[in-house]
Amino acid sequence: MPRAKIHVGLEIGTSKVCMLVGEVKVDGSVKILGIGTAKSAGVRKGEISDYVKVRACVEDARRKAEESSDVQIGSVFLSITGNHLVGVNSTGTYRLPEREKQIHAGYLKEAEKIARGIHLTDEQVIVHQSPRLYRVDGFEHTAPPVGLFGKTIESDYHMVYGLGTRIQNSIKCVRELSMEVDDVVFAPIAAAQYALYRDEKESGVLLIDIGGGTTDYVLYLNGAIAASGCIALGGEHVTNDIHMITELQFTRAETLKIREGHASGESSHDVGGIKIPVDESGFTHQDVKRELLNAIIRERMLEILNLIKKRLPAGALERVGSGVILSGGSSAMRGLDQLVKEVFGLSVNLSTRLEISGVQANFQDPQYITCLGLIRYAQYLEIEKRRTSSPFTKFWPFGRKS
Amino acid sequence: MIEFPRETQHTIPTSHVKIIGLGGAGANMLDRVALDGLDGAEILALNADVRTLNGSVASERIQLGRNLTKGLGCGGDPELGKNVTLEAETEIRMSIKGRKIVFLCVGLGGGTGSGGAPMVCRIAREEDAFVVVFATMPFVFEGERRRQQAQTSLNELAVLSNALVVFDNNRMGELVVAKQGIHEAFQAGDKMIADSIKAVIRLVTRPGLIHVGLDELMTALRTTRSRCLFGSGVANGKDRAAKALANALASPLLDKGALLRETASLLVHICGGADLTLYEVELLMQKLTKQVPEKAHVLFGAAIDESMHDQLSITLISSLPEEKLQEKPQASAVEEKPILEPTEGFGFDQEAAESVIAPLPEPMPVLSNFSFDIAPAVAATQEVAREEKPSASSLPEAVPAIPASKSAFADPIAPVEVVEPKIASPFAEPLAAAPPSALPADFTSLIPPKPATTLPAPKLAGSIPPPKNALPGSAPAAATPSPAAAAAAEIRQATPGRKPIFGAARAASTAPQDSPAEESTEAEASAARSTEESAVPAVSKMIEKTRAKHLQEELLLEKEQLGRFAGTDPTIEDGDNLDIPPFLRKKKK
Repeated sequence: MPRAKIHVGLEIGTSKVCMLVGEVKVDGSVKILGIGTAKSAGVRKGEISDYVKVRACVEDARRKAEESSDVQIGSVFLSITGNHLVGVNSTGTYRLPEREKQIHAGYLKEAEKIARGIHLTDEQVIVHQSPRLYRVDGFEHTAPPVGLFGKTIESDYHMVYGLGTRIQNSIKCVRELSMEVDDVVFAPIAAAQYALYRDEKESGVLLIDIGGGTTDYVLYLNGAIAASGCIALGGEHVTNDIHMITELQFTRAETLKIREGHASGESSHDVGGIKIPVDESGFTHQDVKRELLNAIIRERMLEILNLIKKRLPAGALERVGSGVILSGGSSAMRGLDQLVKEVFGLSVNLSTRLEISGVQANFQDPQYITCLGLIRYAQYLEIEKRRTSSPFTKFWPFGRKS
Repeated sequence: MIEFPRETQHTIPTSHVKIIGLGGAGANMLDRVALDGLDGAEILALNADVRTLNGSVASERIQLGRNLTKGLGCGGDPELGKNVTLEAETEIRMSIKGRKIVFLCVGLGGGTGSGGAPMVCRIAREEDAFVVVFATMPFVFEGERRRQQAQTSLNELAVLSNALVVFDNNRMGELVVAKQGIHEAFQAGDKMIADSIKAVIRLVTRPGLIHVGLDELMTALRTTRSRCLFGSGVANGKDRAAKALANALASPLLDKGALLRETASLLVHICGGADLTLYEVELLMQKLTKQVPEKAHVLFGAAIDESMHDQLSITLISSLPEEKLQEKPQASAVEEKPILEPTEGFGFDQEAAESVIAPLPEPMPVLSNFSFDIAPAVAATQEVAREEKPSASSLPEAVPAIPASKSAFADPIAPVEVVEPKIASPFAEPLAAAPPSALPADFTSLIPPKPATTLPAPKLAGSIPPPKNALPGSAPAAATPSPAAAAAAEIRQATPGRKPIFGAARAASTAPQDSPAEESTEAEASAARSTEESAVPAVSKMIEKTRAKHLQEELLLEKEQLGRFAGTDPTIEDGDNLDIPPFLRKKKK
């Protein structure tokens, strides 16, 4: 019998550690019970560089989450990111044995195994694999062709692989706080579970999650992942750029970025300067020209977006029907939507979904999307587990969920 | 109110323009120009190879070497190329007669192109036409011989033509992605040349609100033996002014805008549709002036062309003496020559000046202002030294000044003979080690927008003790980080008992008495004067050397500019460290 189950999502980000406790109810709806966030330390470009500090931060977040949700957290779903994670598409072709005409699930497994045979070094491990497309004798099927007649099966898979040791270290960091890790999820894939609707995935959509230290993206075409990846550039780089060029202090650069920055590149926003008065921290009076500030931000953002554009498979953007969805803390940057539109030539939405109950206003912020996605991911996994009893649909669910 | 149309200014009708494509490569460029559409201008193809000639879309074709090669090409022999052109001289002359401006497109390195181009150029000049040559240099892989043929021809063209625009095929890689097909690379090269030709034609044929014509074009290009700097960009839509300028500066001929910082005069022509606004022009010029030196003579032109619709085009034309393009690699070669011993007359003067200046950059924390100050100081030294030349007795006095200055910077005090070569070597080595890729970039481009360093001039006033006594004063003077102060002290040493004559020397002498502000301005003013007045080639060469040196120091500095990301795994993409702000990286390029 299905019953309500509590899942916890943990994201160790470059700028914040976020732990979210959600309850998946019997009817499939999700209720957020509590949240704990802590300012992050010891994380650089999405990867843990100082374990002691990170442990303290996670501990802090956990305490807050437990307090607010009144749940004792024993295990979490952990989102991971970092430059080492790479998404690739791979095809496995399997030819059915002679006299065998019908495709069994076992043959699909064989095809999958062949698809998994991408060239990896010893350190690299596959984190995710999700089927994109099946071809039976050249004819495309989006659903697993089990039971159909055919001679050769080709299955396209999207694989995400990364450095095993780094992933293990992240897991170890959590385990040391006497919590178990249910599963590790590549951050943009987690975010996509929450931020994207099924029809959007079907018509093609690009999710860009611009965080503090990394920018993650995932592209859905025809309901399946077509590309995903991580670029080790994010909001912190913008702050750093401002700091280096204007010689403002980090804290001031950060405030300036959030309060005054504008990424669209329209000259109407470049007028005048910003005066930063003497404040209690003892810094002197400083002046920054808006034109300079916006140019710094724009250059960085443009570079990030162009890198993503470059990494997407050729011709993929034309097939995107539902535009670009932005999430992550840095997506709150003003004028970014215009810039994204300029780079990709697609419509832009900030992701704000309202289908989760709990204290609504708290979760509207795009910076919680990955955590919310983790809960959703856990929910799907749960359903999947229940389904494995039926022999026909034991395949990975991304986007293909009914 | 009666409205009357503005008098269209006297312009050159397109019928007075002739575009000539010479040889195979020339024909390709010509075809591109013709296919892109050019209203009115006459197009003439010259080739010895009949098959290529017949394939050309040019309206007018002249076969070269009817009797000599009988319809075949020149087979890469410039001598033959020259002869076949001379054979058709009368025909060419007839075709060019009466044209005001002639564009000659040619690919150098082969036979017809290399041999014929100087001839065609001469003929056109004899017919009183303004000749602009667009030439391409062969790829490195085409071999040394072709390169030499091209170079010889180029040298002749540089003298014969009014303006020479050289495209180096090796730079074609910058126009296209490495992965793209070779045909696309060549197409991109041809297209760029075609764009350049069209831009120049547009400039001289279209009436303008603020007109620029042939006279301005000639001013911008008037330097003997110069290479043309050329950039043109077109953009539309929002922010088109900035985009067009960025496109223009991206031209490989401008070295991403870096070469503009050396230029003395620049012709800017802006052309837009009826909706061209004053605001756009102002914005554009504001951005552009940051790219050129303050003293540069900017010739500005603007025109409205209805056929541009919502586009805006900007054309930048300037020229740079050839030695400025080449001198940087040469500089290091010159310096490696060790200074053996002082000689009489001029030879000594230059080397003395060099060795006085040479050790200066080493202990210099004030980097960004360095070359500004040292340059005039060099000039001043030069002047002082030259002044001294007639009196032979003053020479020995100047000699001991050198080791004295050396000892001020480097601790061990050694005898003259030993010290002298040492002075030369540490100076030459870092220069030789300087990466050649960094050389074309100008030093100002490397200075961060807000250099943290202070102006050296006030420092000079603050830290220099009264240099009443030349010799004891030299040590503390040298200890100050200001180059101007040190150089000035040097000059005082070199001229004991003499009245300080020029620029920095005077600044040094006035230093102790005047208020800091006053003297710094005076020092700068006189320094500026001295730079203008010193036309001695050795001095400019020396300035270049110091610049090159300066470059290297800055590069080292830049490596550490990672702010918060110093010490992390660098994020490298296409050889760029992405942790460095794109804003800075773009400027560097």
